[in-house]
Amino acid sequence: MIFPLAIKSLRNRRFTAGLTVLSIALSVALLLGVERIRQESRETFASSVSGTDLIVGARSSPVHLLLSSVFRIGNATNNVSWESYRRVAALPEVAWTIPLSLGDSHRGFHVLGTTQDYFDHYRFGRDRKLELAQGERFADADGAVLGAEVAAALGYRLGQQIVIAHGSGDVAFALHKDHPFHVVGILGRTGTPVDRAIHVSLEGMDAVHMSESAEAGGDPLAAAMRNARQRQMQSAGRDDHDRDHDQDRHGAGANETPKRTITAFLVGLKSRGGALFLQRQVNESREEPLTAILPGATLLEVWDIVAGAEKTLIAISALVVVMGLAGMLIALLTGLSERRREMAVLRAVGARPWHVFALLLGEAAFLTLLGIALGIAALYVGLGTGQAWLEQRLGLFIALRWPSVTEFGLMMLVAVSGVLIGLIPAYRIYRLSLADGMTIRI
Amino acid sequence: MLRGPSGSGKSTLLSLLAGVLKAQSGSVRVLGHELGALAGAARDRFRADHIGVIFQMFNLIPYLSVQENVCLPCAFSSRRRDRCEQSGTSVREVAARLLDHLDMGGEDMLRRQVTELSVGQQQRVAAARSLMGAPELVLADEPTSSLDADRRAAFLELLFRECARERATLIFVSHDLTLAPLFDRAVEFADLNRFAGSSPVTAIHREAR
Repeated sequence: MIFPLAIKSLRNRRFTAGLTVLSIALSVALLLGVERIRQESRETFASSVSGTDLIVGARSSPVHLLLSSVFRIGNATNNVSWESYRRVAALPEVAWTIPLSLGDSHRGFHVLGTTQDYFDHYRFGRDRKLELAQGERFADADGAVLGAEVAAALGYRLGQQIVIAHGSGDVAFALHKDHPFHVVGILGRTGTPVDRAIHVSLEGMDAVHMSESAEAGGDPLAAAMRNARQRQMQSAGRDDHDRDHDQDRHGAGANETPKRTITAFLVGLKSRGGALFLQRQVNESREEPLTAILPGATLLEVWDIVAGAEKTLIAISALVVVMGLAGMLIALLTGLSERRREMAVLRAVGARPWHVFALLLGEAAFLTLLGIALGIAALYVGLGTGQAWLEQRLGLFIALRWPSVTEFGLMMLVAVSGVLIGLIPAYRIYRLSLADGMTIRI
Repeated sequence: MLRGPSGSGKSTLLSLLAGVLKAQSGSVRVLGHELGALAGAARDRFRADHIGVIFQMFNLIPYLSVQENVCLPCAFSSRRRDRCEQSGTSVREVAARLLDHLDMGGEDMLRRQVTELSVGQQQRVAAARSLMGAPELVLADEPTSSLDADRRAAFLELLFRECARERATLIFVSHDLTLAPLFDRAVEFADLNRFAGSSPVTAIHREAR
């Protein structure tokens, strides 16, 4: 009985009520959006390394190795020699390895040099394999396989010729024009950094850098940069197998296999139980300073680092919800004085004081629930339209799924808070109504 | 009719009769019920079941239609709802009939927003509402003071006729002496107060007509 009355009363004040609902809806959408992006980014990260037991790279901090090798955030400081890679790959506990060679880019997308093992052994999500949406794997030094997002963003099709550039980021310095690649395959969407990579064979990578060093004399800028880097290495007293360095030494000899280096490699073990043992073995290897990490454990470290920022974001959006609810409280309270005569009329026609109480509480509950419902709708509309942008800009693939338990919890929390806040004007009008009775005060 | 100057306590008396206020001393008996002995909720129910109220102005809930305003008492009192339905008709039909009797008939009128009505029309809607479900007692607190003289008489005539038809006792408070001759009985508020100490209020119960 009282609830329809509350709705009709709100409809009468639809402008104020509408604004209140809007502010609650936006704040709820923000809160749920932040929570959703937090969850999805964690899932994207976890999904990317779900099938990998160990990641091995040159000596560096575990977090840095994980971020640079798998998520392409930051650049690897040093490389791993091909010999070290072969040595680890040959260990009896190792089931498979995937070499990763990074450092080049094409129009802002990272180019990843790897082998056929990548397509055979890389797993993401729940043990899913990479699948080609179109075309085939690269078979020679010219072939390139595009991640789904690369193909979509650049509008590339099979057969497209691409030229890669040294360095990463949107502004690359030297273009490797002498060795163009051809798109031979396009991968299906994975929701991992794979979507944003261009995959070529290690032979292709070698060829690019070989031709680059051959023409080095004609490209003073590239040569100067290489020399500068070389000097840096030497002055630091390092005897690293830097790629450019190697190629300056060996690249000129056409028949000689260049001394290859890679950025890092992924390792799959025959049994996961051996991971810790192998990690120690690699970390203590004498031949070359290497770092092996357990991706799951290192990911937890990453989350520890960002936990503070996450909490701050959640806290801010929670505060915005509080503001939205406070707006509702103000709207309801300011309406009270002019509604005292309405309450007197209701009392005169037989409403008990608790009816009046319930009327105000019902209005608060209705505003809150409508705000939450609209907020959820806004979130899904926003995610639906912003999905492409988020993936392009942040590499976040946000699936449109049903709300999680946490999100339901948050919504319940907002609903309960809204009703609790509604108790304030409800109690006030209850007191006023008891005092006024049927007397109409204006 | 209960006549007295403003500020003499007429509205307080009506609140006592309606059971909204509780007498601090003495007793209030209405329709054979000792209101002082009833708890707050019971007095509310008693009012909802037995009493219709008309105010001086602002009688109506602004966000409800004419029909919804008239039907309101039946939402708070099952007794009055049952009475409406006893006659074999729905609450809405009773509302329509009452409005028709008060010269406020018509489908169009039922659905009007009350804010679109003139003051005189609003008072007639309030009168129809107070009579819904045939309450025994109708309390009217200066319902005509916001009307001009012509419409005052017309309104009273309609109110009398409907109270008679619904067999309801009308207690009408006003400061307007000129209305006194129209009523079966007119009591000066000052005279009532002279009985203070005995039981002045019961004196008017069931006799005000």
